[in-house]
Amino acid sequence: MSAAIEATGVRKRFGDVVALDGIDLRVEAGTVYGLLGPNGAGKTTLIRSLVGLVRPDAGDLHVLDARMPDREVLRRIGYMTQAAALYADLSVEENVRFFTRVLGGGDIEAALRFVDLWERRRSLVATLSGGMKTRLSLACAIVHRPRLLLLDEPTVGVDPQLRVQLWNGLREMAAGGTTILVSSHVMDEAERADRLGLIHAGRLLAEGTVGELLAMAGTDRLEDAFLTLEARAS
Amino acid sequence: MSLRRTFAITTRLLAQFRHDHRTLGILFVTPLLILGLFALLFRTDAPVPHVGLVVTSSPVADVIAGALDESDALATERLSTAADADARLRDGLLDAYLVLPAVDGEGVLRPQVVVEGTDQQVATIVPAALQRAVLSGLASFAPTTPLGGAVAPPRIEPKVRTLYGNGDLDALDVLGGPFIGLVVFLLVYVVTSVSFLRERTLGTLERLMATPLRRTEIVVGYMLGFIVVALIQAAEVLGFALLVLGLYNAGSVWLIFGLEVILALTAVNLGIFLSTFARNEFQAVQFIPLVVVPQILLSGVIVPVSAEPEWLQVVSNVLPLTYAVDALREVMLRGSDLSVAAVQLDVAVLIGFCLLLVVAASATLRREVA
Repeated sequence: MSAAIEATGVRKRFGDVVALDGIDLRVEAGTVYGLLGPNGAGKTTLIRSLVGLVRPDAGDLHVLDARMPDREVLRRIGYMTQAAALYADLSVEENVRFFTRVLGGGDIEAALRFVDLWERRRSLVATLSGGMKTRLSLACAIVHRPRLLLLDEPTVGVDPQLRVQLWNGLREMAAGGTTILVSSHVMDEAERADRLGLIHAGRLLAEGTVGELLAMAGTDRLEDAFLTLEARAS
Repeated sequence: MSLRRTFAITTRLLAQFRHDHRTLGILFVTPLLILGLFALLFRTDAPVPHVGLVVTSSPVADVIAGALDESDALATERLSTAADADARLRDGLLDAYLVLPAVDGEGVLRPQVVVEGTDQQVATIVPAALQRAVLSGLASFAPTTPLGGAVAPPRIEPKVRTLYGNGDLDALDVLGGPFIGLVVFLLVYVVTSVSFLRERTLGTLERLMATPLRRTEIVVGYMLGFIVVALIQAAEVLGFALLVLGLYNAGSVWLIFGLEVILALTAVNLGIFLSTFARNEFQAVQFIPLVVVPQILLSGVIVPVSAEPEWLQVVSNVLPLTYAVDALREVMLRGSDLSVAAVQLDVAVLIGFCLLLVVAASATLRREVA
């Protein structure tokens, strides 16, 4: 398998704060990779560097065979920011249409059906609930059928039922060949990923399938595994 | 009413101010800046108009011209012909000129006063100075005939004419043109800076920067969007000013319209550029007294740039609005078109500012997300 993401020795500091402290990460194409860690671990900085929003101080980043920063490869990436970034004074459909124009095409109806918002397409975003906004934000990130989908804490504020739905949808996309990187600080959710990376203080503590991580730590709960591996690292 | 709860609000508010140094700065620095500018602009001596004198030598004319030369209200310069004076007035080297001919056959002296016409102060100072010179001149004018009899002083009937305008431009005619520019500039600036700030704070800009969009595409896209709005606004404002308010206009409406559009585009880019330095809409609005008010004061709308202290003129000359105000006056009051050097300079400088701000605005996008 080829890698959709390959990061080597990526470092980034903001003033005195070391956000990324030598990250090595490889995500195989067509898999769902969970980036797991507490708030402030460096998840968002890593994702932002993958789309060229952060220029690392050191290290190498290859995304879909392009060396970042590379503007053209962004066409094949979907990026969903942590806070739903939408135009509140436009309708649901107008928001998605704007992104298809910027990204060079896409299927608006399919994207809105995927997040179950097709019936609400004429509603103004300002009138949507928090969960609906999150779903619309996802629709804007997938409308152009990206090869790589980067989701920064996509399920925050999404109710459990919908969360199951979203994960099923993501698995479906992965089966269709899309690589998905999901960050989260919720442990149980991460278990749905093919592989997990535990990130803490800008470093990748451990990496593997859920089973491998549990074995590594000698625990039977992912939460305990994280704590054990974190204690071992420091 | 609980004092404790009330004070909770008060102390929280003051604590917020303590953390927001920029707001404190604007609250305490801007008033001094604006009042200081007011003082510099308005506590100046009345302008001393530069007046050309074309004198056909005669006892009466010489006495009057002498009195004018000595007047503190005018700076005079003797010229040989009226044509020369007229050319100098058109070139802006003179504010007015005065032709003192010989007493005519009917025993009447008919001085001609020609003022430039777009500066109301000059238009009142020059005829008033002439009147004083005539009075003081005639008081000392007591020649005698060879036979010893007194000669009656000639009657004096001055005629005042303006080079530009219809001779009775009122304050609105003079201020109105530049104000058209001001209104467009101010509103477009405010709307752009707030809407672009929302793009930054709501995270949509971050998302756009993670797409193949180029920075200049974002800035130019914004510009085009605002052109549409600015065109409609410019047409509306101009139509209202000319048709409803009856503003004097001697120039091309299309040229005025074009100037407004360039000004609006400059304002769009200034808005995008300055939105980098604000963290929220509140702060963006705070920039208005800091950025916009001094520009209005210094652009020559209210007090001519030439009447400012010299160091302040340097500041005025690096503000885009100064050139827009000058161009609008040239066109509307003097009827100048693009073949006039002054208008060419103004338009070139405005386009230059606009392009400079496109680059600056694009550059701030990188700063924001890198």
